[in-house]
Amino acid sequence: MTTIISLMKQVPLPSQMRMGEDGLMDRTKAKSIINIDCSFALEAGLQLKSMLKEAKLIVCSMGPPSFEQSLKKAISMGYDEAYLLSDRKLGGSDTFATGLAISTMIRHLGFGKGLNEDFIIVAGRQTSDGDTAHVPSQVAANLDIPQATFIENVQFEDNHIIARRIIEGGYQILKLPKPCTLSLTPTGIPPRRPSLVGAVRASKTKVNVLSVADINLSDEKIGLSGSPTIVAKVINIKSERAPVVLSKGHDSSTLVNSLMANMKSGKNTLETIEKKITKAKTAPQDYEKVDFRDGASGILTWAELANGKITRPSLELLTPAKNLANSLEKGTKVRTLLIGHNVKDLANELIYHGSDEVIVVDDERLEEYRILPFSSIFSQVIKKYNPEIALFAATTAGRELAPRTAVLTQSGVTADCTGLEIGEHIDRKNKKVFYPILESRRPTYGESKLATILGFHCPQISTARAGTFEIPKRDETLKGKITTFKPKLENGVFITEIVKTVRGDSGLANLFEADIIVSGGRGTISDDMQLVKDLAQALKDQGISAEYASSRPMVDIGISEYARQVGQTGKTVRPKVYIAIGISGAIQHLAGMKESDTIIAINTHSQESIFANADFGIVGDYSDIVPELIKQVKQGFSFGIEKGNKNV
Amino acid sequence: MNDENSLSTDVLIVGAGPSGLSTAISLANKFNKSGDKKRIIVIDKGQDVGSHILSGTLVKEQALKELLSKEEFENLPIESEVISDSTVKLSPDSFSTLPFHPPYMNNTGNKIISLSKVCRYLADVAITKGVEIYPGFAVSDLIYKDNKIIGAKCIDTGVNKKGEKQKNFQEGSKIFAKLIVLAEGSRGSLAKKVKNRFGLRANSNPQLYSIGIKEVWSVKDDAINKGEVYHTFGYPLQGDEFGGGFIYGLGDNRVELGFAIGLDYKDPTLDPHALMQIWKQHPFVKKILDGGTLTQYGAKTIPEGGWNCISKLYTDNLLIVGDSAGFVSMPALKGVHFSVTSGMCAAECAYEAFQANDFSEAMLSKYKKLIDNSRIKKELYPVRNFRAVMSEGLFVGGFKFGIQLITNGFCLLTPHMKKDSLNTKKISEFKDIPFKERFADKLEFDKKLTFDKDSSVFYSGTHHDEEQPTHLVVKDIDQFSKININQYGMPCQYFCPAAVYEEHIDKDGNHSLKIHAENCVHCKTCDIKTPNDAITWNTPYGGDGPQYQNM
Repeated sequence: MTTIISLMKQVPLPSQMRMGEDGLMDRTKAKSIINIDCSFALEAGLQLKSMLKEAKLIVCSMGPPSFEQSLKKAISMGYDEAYLLSDRKLGGSDTFATGLAISTMIRHLGFGKGLNEDFIIVAGRQTSDGDTAHVPSQVAANLDIPQATFIENVQFEDNHIIARRIIEGGYQILKLPKPCTLSLTPTGIPPRRPSLVGAVRASKTKVNVLSVADINLSDEKIGLSGSPTIVAKVINIKSERAPVVLSKGHDSSTLVNSLMANMKSGKNTLETIEKKITKAKTAPQDYEKVDFRDGASGILTWAELANGKITRPSLELLTPAKNLANSLEKGTKVRTLLIGHNVKDLANELIYHGSDEVIVVDDERLEEYRILPFSSIFSQVIKKYNPEIALFAATTAGRELAPRTAVLTQSGVTADCTGLEIGEHIDRKNKKVFYPILESRRPTYGESKLATILGFHCPQISTARAGTFEIPKRDETLKGKITTFKPKLENGVFITEIVKTVRGDSGLANLFEADIIVSGGRGTISDDMQLVKDLAQALKDQGISAEYASSRPMVDIGISEYARQVGQTGKTVRPKVYIAIGISGAIQHLAGMKESDTIIAINTHSQESIFANADFGIVGDYSDIVPELIKQVKQGFSFGIEKGNKNV
Repeated sequence: MNDENSLSTDVLIVGAGPSGLSTAISLANKFNKSGDKKRIIVIDKGQDVGSHILSGTLVKEQALKELLSKEEFENLPIESEVISDSTVKLSPDSFSTLPFHPPYMNNTGNKIISLSKVCRYLADVAITKGVEIYPGFAVSDLIYKDNKIIGAKCIDTGVNKKGEKQKNFQEGSKIFAKLIVLAEGSRGSLAKKVKNRFGLRANSNPQLYSIGIKEVWSVKDDAINKGEVYHTFGYPLQGDEFGGGFIYGLGDNRVELGFAIGLDYKDPTLDPHALMQIWKQHPFVKKILDGGTLTQYGAKTIPEGGWNCISKLYTDNLLIVGDSAGFVSMPALKGVHFSVTSGMCAAECAYEAFQANDFSEAMLSKYKKLIDNSRIKKELYPVRNFRAVMSEGLFVGGFKFGIQLITNGFCLLTPHMKKDSLNTKKISEFKDIPFKERFADKLEFDKKLTFDKDSSVFYSGTHHDEEQPTHLVVKDIDQFSKININQYGMPCQYFCPAAVYEEHIDKDGNHSLKIHAENCVHCKTCDIKTPNDAITWNTPYGGDGPQYQNM
């Protein structure tokens, strides 16, 4: 009988996490819930059980005793047994130590001894209070089993798992054997509500609480001592957008006229408070200077391919790589690993964008990205070249490849960074100064804070958020070295089969350069986004550089193409004007458009979070407001954009 | 019947408010004393016990003292003792404090409590006595056999807007019980069905309701003292509009305040939420709130018709307690102590029924006798005509009520009472100044002192799963258009305190109804006040709705 093991974390309810009067995030008042992604994993486990006919459902978590309430909820949804790894010694564990602790717990429960075992691990893609997406990959790596992350749908056929995985601009159907680990995105089947009978059963079921000693895990492998990374600093990010100016009126033409008037008189501005510039603290002279690199040198990046081309985020990555190399010793090299089949011609492209050396791995089995062979190649290349830093674009591939590779190289990882710099770390307790060290900065807690993460093992691995860095200027005069690398690959790493890859037209680069993007969300389903397209067209007809886009749900139901998807798993855009129509403003979407100069929100529900992230807004019905807007555009209204800027 | 998804209990109590929990505690005490092993299950549609509890409570403690042991009583979470109590008459720009308390309004010795906090406490007490409490589950239907109630069924979940089962469909569990106690609060949706099905309203007046809007604020130092209590009347109400405001100082710079208005008002455009905002702009209220911040918002209806509006409260295998029964004293502005008492009466009746193993209507009629001998009748009967005469306005009504105080409630010219939905006038028939014109200069909300409905709703923490059939059911959409929109100007868009109902005007100028069910704070005003009784409030999924913390 198959055992389905669901990994679950309890988190503070994101909507209830409010900034306290002291400016710190107040988590104490927030109610705790099952992390949203994990709740989708719980449901995926239940769905798998219904397809397997017979299966045992186990839910596992790691955290304080208060997590029991969420484990009981899982039981009330239909799970059979619950295990909680709870120990004060686990405090301060980073994702690396967490992955190790959880996989050790799973081993303790009797799994993970070989590839002939009959179990499936389901987990949430990432947690709302961590956002790293590391742990599922690290658990899979520690157990040495196949994995598939960013999964939105699972089927069970022919003793295999058929999983639909999100990739940039599309999706992929993977076929995995048992045992394996799947991480679920919150876009699949929403978690079922518990039944009362389930709740009664849960109240009578005991959660099995395990300590670190129970699972035979040594103390130095967990907590702070077992964590290769630390959070060095957390600062608040002030919302950069002033309150929205809402249109007034009760019918579409008044509302649109009001919008036009509002845009003329300008958006609200934030009062900026001058911050006192505090001098950077310097370490006392007598502190011991530590260079922990131990000979490691250089920066390694990954060139991800899509449709036979180097992806934009991989080129962007060369900007921070180059900057880091420049702040390190003279002669520090930027090397890029290029894996694929018949890809040698692309190597020069990387050199023209700043790479000093391109390491090419060419193999017909490597035409499409797959986690197992790619992570194996990475660990082999790292072993050979011994880089001090390794950088990946934070794409769905990069965000699983980095943590799986990191387990193989025993490094820490920092996810989804928006800032990468070389700095020093002053350890006052031990009177030491660590220099040079990679300072990886990443937004966290729903983009409200910026954390600086440091790793003390080489390579220091980070993934960089797509769209954050500019692509370096292409310069054909740049010279570099092209090296071929022959990795050792066992047949086992090709065990996961790619059934299908669907990727939209990645040539829609227009989206990155359009002055106005008209974007449609769930609220524009009624006419398949037709009015959204019409508005974009009307703007184009007026000689304005405009394009239409959409939020993820519209792509999921097939109304829009993947290439037009804006958001965390789609594109990050920065147009002069972003018109969000019928878009609720989920954090994933906001991540892809919040850098736009001016944001206009149109939605029937004034409560939607899009309004908190917009400059101008109309609360009104899509089918009323947009025709009126089109009418105004035809009469010359251009959202303040000059016509004739056709350089797209 | 799916046996795996059903359970049996001796007693099922629907609703973990003061009446349901009092029933549970009192009955568990009796069973524990006699050594009977009986299962008592309480379920509540709120996410947690207390999530759907809202009250501006100055409680008379005696009833709780009778319910609880000495130690349990002493640990009750009390916000403050009432240290001063004033009745204030407001006129548009000024106020005057009455030198005396209106009859029944003296609160000396009473305690200010947060009813949601107290309910969480009572739930903990009940659990120690062996009561099982499951919040987050909503009962949508009762199960009948031979026209007798034998159980209840939780709402099916995992159903989309169109009513189609989704992949995460979860059938609602069935609970079979020897005795069911309905303690759903004001305008309980099951109690309404039961009362209709078994004709329990045959010998009573229709129930009358008020809607109460409540806010909790964090205010500046010294804005109000802990235990300071004010009740206001007059402005912004006029003529025959019945209601007023309350302000209670809670300590730690917190204040709770609210405004209630009888739903028998006539103006189809009257907006109770706006009334609260207008009331807050009065200098008397404003000076307390200035510089403070809103922390919570909510609304509930109050069944305030009094003794003459209480229906028959029992049928085979079923009892009705608390606000679902209508135990509120309007002249005293109190009902919590009645809820507790009705729960204790229900428990006593239930205990005897279990001794006799007889849950027939005849056996359960004992409940009525117990109520008649309790403080409920003692306090409600003399003021039975209060609400009726008050529908004639403060002057005539106040005079008639004064006479009743001498005659033990007897009243010669009691006005005929009709249900609240019938009191709303058509636009064409309403001759006074409409609400919007009356307060034309007070309806700009600054989001500091005053808030529009959407902003207010945010502070209720309300949340509903979008994937579910709307829980607000319009009987006949064409009729609604003809009557509610065309003749009445769609009053629900005004009286709903949570911006659930929107009058949508399309590009051709056609008016239609749009329902934003996700905003609902479960006050049920729409079920009560909509002309032609066009809207029915059903329960949404369990756990949905407001998330009141300390209301």
